[in-house]
Amino acid sequence: MSRRSGRVLDAYGAVFLLLLYAPIALILVYSFNSNVVNMMAWEGFTLDWYRSIFGLTTRLSESQIYVHSTEALLAAVRHSAIVALCASTLSTAIGTATALGLARHDFRLKRVYQGLLVLPMVMPDIVLGIALLIFFVGAGFKLGLSTIVIGHCVFLSSYVFVIVSARLAGMNTELEEASADLGAGPWTTFRRVTLPQIMPGVAGGALLAFIISLDDLVITYFIAGVDSTTLPLFIYGMLRRGIKPEINAIAILLLVFSFVVAATGLWLRSRRQ
Amino acid sequence: MTTLAGSRRLRLTALLTPVSLLLGTCFLVPLGIMAVYSFLTPGLYGGVEWSFYPYNYGRVLGAPLGDVEDFDPVYVEILLRSLRLAGIVVALSLVISYPAAFWVARFRGQRKSFVLFLVTLPFFASLIIRVYAWMLILRPTGFLNLVLESAGVIDAPLQIIFTEVSVVAGLVYILLPFMFLPIYASVEKLDPALVQASQDLGATPWQTFRRVVLPLTLPGVIGGSLIVFIPAFGNFVVPALLGGAKVMLVGNIIEQQFLAARNWPFGAALAMLILGTVLVLMLIYVLRIGRGGVAAGAQA
Repeated sequence: MSRRSGRVLDAYGAVFLLLLYAPIALILVYSFNSNVVNMMAWEGFTLDWYRSIFGLTTRLSESQIYVHSTEALLAAVRHSAIVALCASTLSTAIGTATALGLARHDFRLKRVYQGLLVLPMVMPDIVLGIALLIFFVGAGFKLGLSTIVIGHCVFLSSYVFVIVSARLAGMNTELEEASADLGAGPWTTFRRVTLPQIMPGVAGGALLAFIISLDDLVITYFIAGVDSTTLPLFIYGMLRRGIKPEINAIAILLLVFSFVVAATGLWLRSRRQ
Repeated sequence: MTTLAGSRRLRLTALLTPVSLLLGTCFLVPLGIMAVYSFLTPGLYGGVEWSFYPYNYGRVLGAPLGDVEDFDPVYVEILLRSLRLAGIVVALSLVISYPAAFWVARFRGQRKSFVLFLVTLPFFASLIIRVYAWMLILRPTGFLNLVLESAGVIDAPLQIIFTEVSVVAGLVYILLPFMFLPIYASVEKLDPALVQASQDLGATPWQTFRRVVLPLTLPGVIGGSLIVFIPAFGNFVVPALLGGAKVMLVGNIIEQQFLAARNWPFGAALAMLILGTVLVLMLIYVLRIGRGGVAAGAQA
């Protein structure tokens, strides 16, 4: 490639990164803007929007904020955390077991399982959401945190399965055979030989499942009960009522959290390879 | 040996029981029930009556099926708009991602991992926050109008939010990684020696692109297009926040049927139409491209 076209490509790359990050950077800047009348006009630096989220004293009046009590927001955070922890734990166990079953055994229905596992990932969210809603209501389930956890597991297990399978595919079976030859039982072989080797995949799958669960809006929207609002649902509700500057601060806190989790995951992966 | 085979069988059963139960009861059964619902009579107070009723589909596809009684052309319009906008979103994200993939692929070693990290990171930002960022940019009092007005380009704020443009912008922004990653995966695999050989043999840059680069990166392009199209087509969050009542997509109509209008059978029928479209596209993809690509695309 010539020098000139290389430089054009570099310039394009810069624009591409700008496109990815500028919208997020804008939220960051405005989250510190002290102008309470026009949130887009920069007036000065303040931490008031962050303080008001946590219920600290600010110079803001009632009408300028959404979160009149931090209770509703904290409840949403708590619901999201419970759901994400339960759903990622369960789906990591299920997805890993499935990956082991399909990678280490040959049987007639293998292709059927492989195809079936792709479906929840490519299914439009809204279709899965309403199918689950009709099912849960019809089966007499009370919509709440447990229905959200079940719903999330349906598609998260597939993500974990794909990631752990990729890890298993790149691993040779010699060590497992050696372990068996040396007299270790299947459980010991799994715990001492297989599991340590696939651990980066399992951990990566669990982190991804955690982030996706934490962020899911559409499926949760349909299968959450009135008293099980999660954080994305809470934010969606706020945005539908209109924009107040406080949302910037909430957005940034959430972004920082998901970036830290994601960066940890990506870093762990690059270190272990 | 029989006991060994038996214990292997037992282990396989144990490993696959959880996923079979989960996907059986909470995936296949709900989809089956939804299919049945789409043929039931909507009840008066939001319930259903258990009698066969084909007119849920008739409301959307009535005219072509020869039934005009319940037919309302607004639904065909919305369906076609959803298809068209999803197509535009695919095209735009392809045009944006394709050169970017080549840019990232040119880096080596540590720097490449870092650039890849930078490109992947926004993918993990909360979806609702990424949509919100575009509300902030495109509102009448938003950032774009602010910049344009202070630069003297416009006198009055442009109405961008609540138009198709804003819906497309929002969808492209949130779905970009799904296009970038599969394309990057196939660009990364592209052997530079082949490009070199093509140039050495006297091909023009265009010929090299058309005959060598494009065919070799096509699997990534097609895989990316598919996994961008699917969520763009059925999306309801982006049109709800950036499209308002003016740019309704099929996802918004489904949401209304379930939460406001309480006509579940009709909502189920619309969802079946989305599902049908997606399955047809998937089938074409699997038959034409082969099985490996689906998993690779989904993995991205």
